[in-house]
Amino acid sequence: MTTLAIPPDVAFVVLTVVTITGAILALQAKELIYGAMSLALSFIGIAGFFALLDAPYLAMLQIAVYVGAVVVLILFTIMLVHREQTPEMDERTASPENSVGLWLAGLLALAVSGVVALAGTNLPTEAPSATLPISDLGPVLTLQYPIPLIILALLLSASLLGALVLAKVER
Amino acid sequence: MVVFPPTTPAELIALIIRILTSHTFVTIVIFPGFIHLTVVVIFLTWYERKLLARIQLRIGPLYAGGPGGLFQPLADGVKLIFKEVMVPYKASKPLFLGIPIMLVFLSALPFAVIPFGQHWVIANIDVGLVFIFAMTSLFPTMILLFAWASNSKYPFLGGLRSLFQQVAYEIPMWISTLSIVLLAGSLNLTDIVTAQQKMWFIVPAFLSFVVFFISIMAELERLPFDLPEAEPELVAGWYTEASGAIFMLIFMGLYMKLYLMSSLVTVLFLGGWWGPAIVPQPVWFILKTLIVATFIIIPRGVYPRIRVDMLIKIGWTRLLIIALANVFLTIILIDTGLLAAWGI
Amino acid sequence: MELNPWLAIIIWAIIIVLMTGPLLTLPIFWSRRKPDPFRDMPFESGQVPQGEARHRLVMQYYPYLLMFVVFDVVGMFLFAWGISFTQVPKEASAFVILFIVLLGAPLAYALKLALNRENW
Repeated sequence: MTTLAIPPDVAFVVLTVVTITGAILALQAKELIYGAMSLALSFIGIAGFFALLDAPYLAMLQIAVYVGAVVVLILFTIMLVHREQTPEMDERTASPENSVGLWLAGLLALAVSGVVALAGTNLPTEAPSATLPISDLGPVLTLQYPIPLIILALLLSASLLGALVLAKVER
Repeated sequence: MVVFPPTTPAELIALIIRILTSHTFVTIVIFPGFIHLTVVVIFLTWYERKLLARIQLRIGPLYAGGPGGLFQPLADGVKLIFKEVMVPYKASKPLFLGIPIMLVFLSALPFAVIPFGQHWVIANIDVGLVFIFAMTSLFPTMILLFAWASNSKYPFLGGLRSLFQQVAYEIPMWISTLSIVLLAGSLNLTDIVTAQQKMWFIVPAFLSFVVFFISIMAELERLPFDLPEAEPELVAGWYTEASGAIFMLIFMGLYMKLYLMSSLVTVLFLGGWWGPAIVPQPVWFILKTLIVATFIIIPRGVYPRIRVDMLIKIGWTRLLIIALANVFLTIILIDTGLLAAWGI
Repeated sequence: MELNPWLAIIIWAIIIVLMTGPLLTLPIFWSRRKPDPFRDMPFESGQVPQGEARHRLVMQYYPYLLMFVVFDVVGMFLFAWGISFTQVPKEASAFVILFIVLLGAPLAYALKLALNRENW
């Protein structure tokens, strides 16, 4: 019984293209709503990476929390800003000081490929084979990290109350 | 014998026949797959109209052919396909045309993990339940975007109300299923159904069942939680400007979501496909799901509407507390070993 | 021939899009194209629409959106614990119960802030 699966290399390339395209579109979009949607696409790409790394639970958490809640909040905030106040982005031209980002990205790519070329054949060829089954997640969380769990509860409540108190209207 | 690169036409035909009759193909395309999904969703449209008509002392669809107007949805579908697709003035065209497909996509995708029988599931992943919740949490985004994209006041207000209503009932839905996860010990839907072999989970987790049932009625925007779509209020809510094929896709997406939520109730609370072995397992599953769908449809003809701010308040205060109380109750039940007789 | 479940989900997704795609593209293909200002006006029950359509935003339920983000994360953590509840000794589950109880007081205060209509 052979199991048919997607070759991991193909999946990696497709996910990289999706994530980076989403991120670039999110920065370049003229209408902020389209930018927020491209950001959602980028988050889905990242969730795909989690699934590729044998962490499907984390992938679902990413989709449910980021795309399901954070993107809604971003969209709501964008709709809050009245139309005439969105910045005009039509006057961009391709001058050298505007393409600084592209130059920096190019230099970074050059540096990384230089390092990889120097490392030669010393790179690891197999992915680490540690897979964490989902049923291990609970015991690890509660037995090995109980204090961070409690600190997380306090952090979540602090952020919740902070957000509410900051957002409410003082009368 | 099937040879993989087929060299003669006879081998090609043998390969095609082998693929067409393989369990994988039947599962994905036919049985709990696309054809079954479309047929059941079309049937549900007719079923709702007929049931509501009988509750309201009318007759419902009658003349479209078939016994009791059974082909009425086909007539509706043909009519809607040939209508003109109107995009409102200065509406965002890509969003307006693209989101209805996304809605159908998001409603149909979770069917890949719902088990209709012991071996009748398209994709048996270990995080099935959370997969379904991740997909349903994308709905409010889609509704908000569609409401914004139709450049019009009624959809915008209706879309905002829909967004807040659906967001308010997501959390009680999740917490009530936490009790089921505690009882079953797994997020894999097949494992959850297998653990109900001796006793359906509706018995120890009855409060969770009540909370879950109410939450899915609010998620599906059915009466009595109908305010974002109420006709005297908002014409049709967030899909007011949808016409023709767009409306058909949204309608199909909503009924697929109804079928999805009903089958989720069956899987989580009503024992999935367990039943006496007189009929095959999938038949029990579909029967139970249709009974749940009936109980979701009936209140539409019976109850008055609840005001939207009261609705959101009930979701966040009462339902959340009851769901959390049931989680603690389940913890106590499991700890004291009262459920050991039934294998939990 | 067994399929990796994630591949099965992707094939299922492709089949859905392929089958419902024509439902949208065909009607667009054969519908009229000329934009007509009277036909495309947004619907306002017969009166002429005035004013910006996306103008008024309902801020009354904004705190619920913030609460949703936080409790979304909490729910996901609780699912992770719920799977292994029977295999974990009682002291570990006590920490998670403490987690839930510690979020109870902020939840109550957040609801009090959210239900107070004058804050928004």
